[in-house]
Parts: sequence; structure tokens; C-alpha cells
Amino acid sequence: MATEGMVRQQMLHRLYSDHHGWLNGWLRRQLGCSQRAADLAQDTFVRVMTKDEDMGAIREPRAYLHTIAKGLLINHWRRRQIEQAYLDALALQPELVAPSPESQALIVETLLQIDAMLAQLPAKVRRAFLMSQLQGMTYAAIAAELGVSERMVKKYMAQAMLHCLLLVAED
Amino acid sequence: MGVDYRVLQEAAKWFAVLQSGAASPGERQAWAAWLQQPDHAQAWARVERISGQFQPLASDAIGRSAGAMLHSRQPNRRQALKVLSVLCGGAALSLAGGSLPWRQWAADERTAVGEVRDLRLADGSQLWLNTDTAVDIAFDANARSLALYRGELLIDAPASRRARPLLLSSREGRVRSEQAARFSLRQEDGRTRLSVFTGVVDIQLDGFAIASVGAGQQAEFDRRHVAPLVAARAEHQAWATGVLLADNQRLEDFLAELSRYRHGYLGCDPRIADLRVVGAFPLGDTERVLDALAATLPVRIERRMTWWVSLEPAAKRVDA
Repeated sequence: MATEGMVRQQMLHRLYSDHHGWLNGWLRRQLGCSQRAADLAQDTFVRVMTKDEDMGAIREPRAYLHTIAKGLLINHWRRRQIEQAYLDALALQPELVAPSPESQALIVETLLQIDAMLAQLPAKVRRAFLMSQLQGMTYAAIAAELGVSERMVKKYMAQAMLHCLLLVAED
Repeated sequence: MGVDYRVLQEAAKWFAVLQSGAASPGERQAWAAWLQQPDHAQAWARVERISGQFQPLASDAIGRSAGAMLHSRQPNRRQALKVLSVLCGGAALSLAGGSLPWRQWAADERTAVGEVRDLRLADGSQLWLNTDTAVDIAFDANARSLALYRGELLIDAPASRRARPLLLSSREGRVRSEQAARFSLRQEDGRTRLSVFTGVVDIQLDGFAIASVGAGQQAEFDRRHVAPLVAARAEHQAWATGVLLADNQRLEDFLAELSRYRHGYLGCDPRIADLRVVGAFPLGDTERVLDALAATLPVRIERRMTWWVSLEPAAKRVDA
């Protein structure tokens, strides 16, 4: 569908030239860093491009781009937060044996993956799952921590695992 | 793909049952039977894949403690900055830590300053490591031994089976138990402190049993002597639940204890050293504990440098 593709191209180009300026400025104010802002603005348009949506149906392009950019921004902060938490934990290690850069990157990447995987779960379910899987806490300890029954913890665990299973199934 | 929702639901339920660590033999058999069907096995392989994603973290102390922050979600810039400033403030600590559910053999375990971690051992024992602690664990078919190199631990162990007494060594000597017992062991400078909460624990110096310490008793020993037994103190196990207990404790002693959970210097002016502290404080946030002290005692907090915190007498009327 060459023509359809061309129409899409044109619309995208229009969207870009109309909105890139303010989007970039808005991101720069949020981030305080023009280079990161330029990257995220670019990412926003890439996201629009790869979305299989009818661009003619976008009535409020500004609000639309704003929503996408905000999502990317939150991911960006979240990544920063996780990286920082890792660096802080690293700094607190009493031992001088620092993990290799590769294994550091692996751990941060794993943290991000797990974070994304559990993002949509209710807070208590997510916490119960993390306490069990990451911290090896018993159901009794988790129940005490969350102020719920052990039966409820078991339910949370099943709920969290089912959620993850469905995500994996989508891949 | 190909696995239907109902099967995934069942797989998730089995996961929750087995992960509890309290599955009955009957449940295990039922699970094994369920696993026989190919589509069930396929779903279960996914469960293991997901659960396996946590492995690199659970076995990495740094990743594990960084993982504590995954508990909260919905970051925004302000929150991110707040987290960063808190973490950069030097009071960063996590009661995160964690354990691999089925730890078996020899293992080095360490906790960072401010970290309290619990582990489940192969014989069903529950082990807690207090802040800045290092232990070696050697549990197998023949022995159940632990070596405490630094810091403090609390263990809740079942009775020994097949003549495998529980042996814990410190720099000064060794403690031994055959019954079910719950006790804490703390390595201090030149001496070891044992507090027994249930069961009976023997102290051995140079391989000879020197003393038996029963439930509710506490003993300190060096390489040669065991000091007279005194009553075990509740605070020597309260830390395992994240609580720092002070029962009419001198402020100076209380601060010495609190400072084990944070980096840097923490002390007080000699004029207020004998003030008494009473209360249960959360170990997860030592700054909050300090604020609580300032709110209840006639003291003020002097932060001279990031790593230097001193408590001073609260400013009174200025006497000319």
C-alpha cells in the first residue's frame, strides 16, 4: 500500500514540524538537560511512527504527543531511580570486590524488567510477590508486613504469577 | 501460546502453594500428577522462567537491596529527586535483603550496614542476620554448622535429626544445641554474647562444654571464661523484626547501638550521656529515630558533617 504509506509519511512529517519545537522545549524544562530532551523528543516520534494507528484520527496532536512523551519521561525517571538505587546499594557494600560492569548492567536491566513486569499490579500484590521472590520472606512474614492473612498472601502470589504468565504469553 | 487461560490459572495457583514452603506431601503429589499433562508442563516451564528472572537478583546482595525500591511504583520527577536525596543523604538502608528459599550448602553471607536479612536454611531453620554481619553456612547431610565472623545473628532451629547437632562458632568459642532452640549470638570485640530465648544451648571453649544456657538466659564469654548468666534481653531478638528496643537504656549506649545501623559517627555530649531512653524504634530509618529522640528528650541534633552527628543538650535560657 504505497499510497497509504505515503499519506502516513506526510502526516508524520507534518506532526513533526508542527510539534517538535514545543515538545523539545517542554522536555528540556522537565529534564534540565537539552541532550536528553532531544533524545526523548526523538523517541516520542519514533513511538508514534511504530504505533499502528490511523494518524488522521488524531484530533489533539499536542495532547497525544504530550501523553506519549510523559510516559517516556516517567520511564526515564524510573530508570534513573533504579540505577541510582543500585549505585547506592553498591556504595554501601562493605567489601571491596566490586562486580564487573557487565554484571552491574545485568542486574540493573533485570531490575527494570521486573519493575515493568509488575508495574500494573496492585501495590500489595506487587509487594507480596517481591518480598517472596526477591527477599525470600515466608508467607507468615509477608502477611505480618502487609497486615493481611497468610491465605491472602497465597492469593496475591497466584495473582501476581498469573499476571506475569499472561504477559509472557503475549510475547 | 497455545496454553489456555485455565491452565495458566492452575499453574499460578500451584506456584503459590509450592512457594509457601508449607506444601503438604499430598499437595506435592497432586502437583506432580498435574504436571504429567504436556500443556500443564508447558505452563509450568513458564512459571519457572518467570521465577528464574529473580535469581540473578536474589543471589546478588547489591541487586537485592536495590530491588527494595521496586516496592513503590509511580515515580515522578519530584519523587525521584526525593528518593535520590534520601539515598544520597547517607541514611540509605534497606530492610530489604533477602534469601534464596532453598539454600543448602556452604555459603558466605554478608549484610551491609543497615541491612537486616532473613534466610531459610536447608533443615528448616530460620536465620536472621543483623547489620554488618558476616557468616559462613555449612549445612549438609552430616553437619549443621555456622561460623559468625562479624556482627550478630538470630537463629530459630528445629531439633536435630540423625545426630546432627547445630554448631555455631565465634572467634572465642562455640555454641551447640541439639534441641529445638531460638537464640542470638553476637560477636563483639574480644568476646561473644549468647542470648537464649527457647531451648538449651551449651557453650564450649577449647572443645569442652563449659556452661549450659537455658531459655531466658544470657551469657558472655571470651576464650577462657563464661561470665555469670543474666536474664536475656528482649532487644537481642527484636531487631530481627526491624525494631530497636530501648528499655530504660542510657542515651550513650542507645546511640552506640543505633550507630551500628548507619555509616559515620554518632555520639553525644557527656552531659546528656546518662539520660534514659525508653521505646521501640524502627530500624529502617535511623534519621527518624534521631528525630524521635530530639522530640522526647531535652536534646538537639547537631549535624556537623554528613558523617558526623552529635546529640547536644537542648539550648536552654542563655545565662549571662
